[in-house]
Amino acid sequence: MTPLIWRALLRHPLRHPWQLGLAILGIALGVAVVLAVDLANASARQSFALAMDRVTGQATHRISGGARGVPETVYAALRLERGLRQAGPVLTGYLPHADQKGQLLQILGVDPFAEGPFREPAADLTGSDFNLTAFLLEPDTALLPETLGEQVTLRRGEQHFTLRRAGTLEGPELDGLIITDLATAQTLLGRPGLLSHIDLILPEGPAGERLAAELRDWLPADLRLEIPAERDRATVDLSAAFSLNLTAMSLLALMVGMFLIYNAITFSVVQRRALLGMLRALGVSRRELFVGVLGEALLLGVVGTALGVLLGIWLGSGLVHLVTRTINDLYYVLSVREFFITPGSLAKGVGLGLLATLAAAWLPAREAADAPPGAVLSRAHLETRWRAALPRLIAAGGLLLGAGGLVLGFSHDLISGFIGLFLLLLGCALLTPPAVVGLVRLNQPLAHRLGLLARMASRDVVRHLSRTGVAVTALMIAFSATVGVGVMVDSFRGGVAIWISDFLNADLYLAPPSLEDGGRAEAIAPEALAILRGTSGVAAVSTYQGVNIDLAGRPVTLIAADLAPAAQAGYHLIDGDPESAWRQFQSGEAVLISEPLAYRQRLRVGDTLELPTDRGPRRFPVVGVFLDYGSEHGRVLLHRAGHARYWEVATVGSAAVFATPGEDLTALRERLQERLGPVQPLLIRSNRDIQALTMAIFDRTFTITHVLRLLAILVAVVGVLSALLALQLERAREFAMLRAVGMTAGQIGGVVSLQTGFMGAAAGLLALPTGTLLAAMLIFVIHRRAFGWSLPFQVDPVLLLETVVLAVVAALLAGLYPIWRMARARPAEALRTE
Amino acid sequence: MQIMKNRRFWWWGSTLVLAGLVMVVTGYLMTSPPPERTSGVNVSAALGGGDHAGYQRAERPRPFQFPADHGPHPEFRNEWWYVTGNLADADGRRFGYQLTLFRIALAPTPPEMDSAWRTNQVYMGHFALTDVADQQHHAFERFSRAVLGLAGAQAAPFRVWLEDWELAGPESGADGLFPLRIRAREGEIAVDLTLTAAKPMVLQGDRGLSQKSAEPGNASYYYSYTRLPTQGTVQIGPRHFTVSGASWLDREWSTSALGPEQSGWDWFALHLDDGRDVMFYRLRHTDGGMHSFSKGVLVAADGQARLLRWDEVELQPLDHWTSPHTGDRYPIRWRLRVPAEHLDLTVTAKLADQEMRLTVRYWEGAVSVAGRDGDRAIDGRGYLEMTRYEPGAATR
Repeated sequence: MTPLIWRALLRHPLRHPWQLGLAILGIALGVAVVLAVDLANASARQSFALAMDRVTGQATHRISGGARGVPETVYAALRLERGLRQAGPVLTGYLPHADQKGQLLQILGVDPFAEGPFREPAADLTGSDFNLTAFLLEPDTALLPETLGEQVTLRRGEQHFTLRRAGTLEGPELDGLIITDLATAQTLLGRPGLLSHIDLILPEGPAGERLAAELRDWLPADLRLEIPAERDRATVDLSAAFSLNLTAMSLLALMVGMFLIYNAITFSVVQRRALLGMLRALGVSRRELFVGVLGEALLLGVVGTALGVLLGIWLGSGLVHLVTRTINDLYYVLSVREFFITPGSLAKGVGLGLLATLAAAWLPAREAADAPPGAVLSRAHLETRWRAALPRLIAAGGLLLGAGGLVLGFSHDLISGFIGLFLLLLGCALLTPPAVVGLVRLNQPLAHRLGLLARMASRDVVRHLSRTGVAVTALMIAFSATVGVGVMVDSFRGGVAIWISDFLNADLYLAPPSLEDGGRAEAIAPEALAILRGTSGVAAVSTYQGVNIDLAGRPVTLIAADLAPAAQAGYHLIDGDPESAWRQFQSGEAVLISEPLAYRQRLRVGDTLELPTDRGPRRFPVVGVFLDYGSEHGRVLLHRAGHARYWEVATVGSAAVFATPGEDLTALRERLQERLGPVQPLLIRSNRDIQALTMAIFDRTFTITHVLRLLAILVAVVGVLSALLALQLERAREFAMLRAVGMTAGQIGGVVSLQTGFMGAAAGLLALPTGTLLAAMLIFVIHRRAFGWSLPFQVDPVLLLETVVLAVVAALLAGLYPIWRMARARPAEALRTE
Repeated sequence: MQIMKNRRFWWWGSTLVLAGLVMVVTGYLMTSPPPERTSGVNVSAALGGGDHAGYQRAERPRPFQFPADHGPHPEFRNEWWYVTGNLADADGRRFGYQLTLFRIALAPTPPEMDSAWRTNQVYMGHFALTDVADQQHHAFERFSRAVLGLAGAQAAPFRVWLEDWELAGPESGADGLFPLRIRAREGEIAVDLTLTAAKPMVLQGDRGLSQKSAEPGNASYYYSYTRLPTQGTVQIGPRHFTVSGASWLDREWSTSALGPEQSGWDWFALHLDDGRDVMFYRLRHTDGGMHSFSKGVLVAADGQARLLRWDEVELQPLDHWTSPHTGDRYPIRWRLRVPAEHLDLTVTAKLADQEMRLTVRYWEGAVSVAGRDGDRAIDGRGYLEMTRYEPGAATR
């Protein structure tokens, strides 16, 4: 191929910088969104991985106990009797920062002499201000992160502990972590004699497995040997679900981006048919032409991708805060201060950008190469072919829909869910051009009544289907994504709002005013409970105690509850007869389980669930399944009496108060506060406080989806702009002709506006069913498979209307520049250019 | 990572988990490759040196009381039970072993016991096995605080242990030490030996007070059992060897030892074929010479001991070996002369690389002895310890 051909080919885009710019922008936006989401995910992941690594370390196995923890004597026996060398005792828990309300700090108590193989931080400390003697001997010393200053005061209940620095933890991912000696941790957390777990490094292969089996036999019944990976499998599954959710959205953006690219390249080919024909006549081979067009596209792709990468990095650094903010709201443990630009993410973005460009350019390049030499093929030929292809499009679209349906119908895992979803979407995309033709036909009677110009406008859409079809499809996909995600979030929110208002049906909620955990929060004193029950205005009291247990590798919350009848009514049973369920529940020998647990373990009423009790494993019949968005891992509700029978600890962690009807809640609250004060001050909240807080957190979590929705719309608008621009510019001669035969610039503007408006409306309308389908899939397939939640399906008509209006407005806006240019064009000149 | 930190309003906290859609990102922790491991806490930095205030010091000779003195002296900063020995199996396959348990006090007085883990007493163990035939030297180290029975020392019945490394006397016995059972295992390297005493205890220095430098108190209480016939087994990988030989036990406790002008030491413990035992430590002066606080002991076959003053012994390095691992340059062949006793010995490392690359770095290994006692050829075997040979340190 000679440079001349290249120059001939490249002359066109250089002379039409607007088209060039929009094509590049389209690619760039597509790449940027994909990359940004990926980078944000990867950064959050990497920061957490780093932090986790430093907290959980290199253990291959871990010994952990039931509710109380692991006795330290087990650790000693492990070393002395079993001769296990790679064993590290750990006691960890959380205490609130006394001076910064709401900030929880993680205490990680370790034995520095056993730490060597496990965790990193200690190693970083050598040579700095690390004072091992103080660390070991003085109970008020700790390794503090740089950000906490020279000392920090923590609170446990009414006790305050001030810790001095005996060394500095370096690295921003350790901001919420305090490392202490094991002795100090036991004192701080008030858990003498106990460990949270024992980290182990066992050899790999059969020797390690044999050792693990021996250890399992050797361990006391209430302790387990687990593999940290097993323990975290749940989180890994879920994180996969979460990141797939985000990735799915970014792929939607790329899909739209691909349509843009396709559009831009096709257009540039069609506009140069004369040139391409000429080149063929001059002896340029098909292959050369094909490579030339593809090469040109690739060039666009490279520039667009490069821009997209820059844009994506910028965007991603913003998104990472959205991704992690919620985590920090929930944990206060870690903060992602570093933005990691991972080569993997970059490669993904670049690869997608270039591949998408090549894929999008493939058909137009083929088309260019197929141009008969010497013939100045008309656009009409292309359009004829497009219209002829309509039945094939319908068939292919139908096929894809069918395939998607089959995949969804015959699979149960999340990945297949996403694959099915994308097949469905692609099917819808293919069906869009035929649907546009259908809409035009439907519109014909109306257009007739509106006059010549309206008819022209609507027929033009079909006449230029090769342009309009792609533009409408891009717009449709973008808007269906926003509809789908919007409906999903609305449904989710609605479901949660209803659930929580039913669920929190007591008037006041009480709990000890401390946030500390370590697994065991402070309990409500029995005397305080007695006062609570004896206070006038209190009609009924429910009590709760949550304990984390491990069921099939997932942390499930076991709730020992004594429920007032009104509280029982707050549980919405989706399986089981309420009356018999609650009757059997009262016996303490049967459990109710939450929906995610039932879904995951495939449990139904009548099945039994084995729980690790303090008296060994025991099977409890499941008598009811309740709706619960509170935990994706699941919860088990057991009557307090039953809990006391099989577990040794029988405390009350929190209580709910039902007031007598007509009682003034503010007065009751004050009365309770006053009476409880001398015995045990409890934090009292109204159900409304908690509901408001819950919804605020919910909304904050989904901020990122709103941002992505906006991005998708932006991509779509750029797409429409470039498609329309291309279309209208291409028709410059046609419009000049119309001007020449007497149409005014205003009339032509009207035609263009009508046309773009029609396209926008078509895209918006078609996005409604597609978006609803997408939402249904997200709700009934993706969420169900990822979290085990069934959500109500709520479609907000305002959202739908908004979408159509937005689509029309976006399309009209996109038409403004072409109209402006058209109006300024001098017909004579435009005609002469031929 | 625990899922819920807030167990207080569990219903409330759990709705937070709703938002856990996001939090699940944490789960990716499994996907990143583990970072390079470095060694753990620099324990030795904290264990050595510092202020002597509050500790007892070895300032004057004291009457020893046994079995109590076989046990720990927690009011002193450092203490050790130091066993070395040369062994061979029936085929003449030779081994050297070292098991040392160090007690280290982090503070002169015990801290307030707010937890069973709180203590000022820490143990460090060094275990080494030299396999002369395979030219292998295996060295291991461990640490533990003296809590929960993980490590400790007691006089009666005598026992010093660091997990499953152990020196244990009989349940009841004359002086409480012998037969002394020594057990240590690290993976598939292990020794299980029984030691008896062929000679009585020797008090080192001045009636057991071994002055190391000029400052009063820079001394240790030091006694030895120089010749301990030894029987038992050695395991190296899958192979077990039934061995016999002779060991040497040093007991020493102190709070401070070296003066600022002393750069390191070389310690010889030799069993000669004629039944005599020679111990000598050379304290090296920073100017390169032998420090006048160097000293030793010569124990006759009948157990009679006599002090070797620094100027009675001539030491001359003959060959050096530079550790490819650390760059330290150790003399691995020595000439040791005691003119007054007509002894002229050449001490040669059985293996050049018996460097203990542990938290504290030194060279300690089995040596063979050949030479003359006047006209008579004499040979033997023993152990040699050399410290502080890092490049740049003033040594010879």
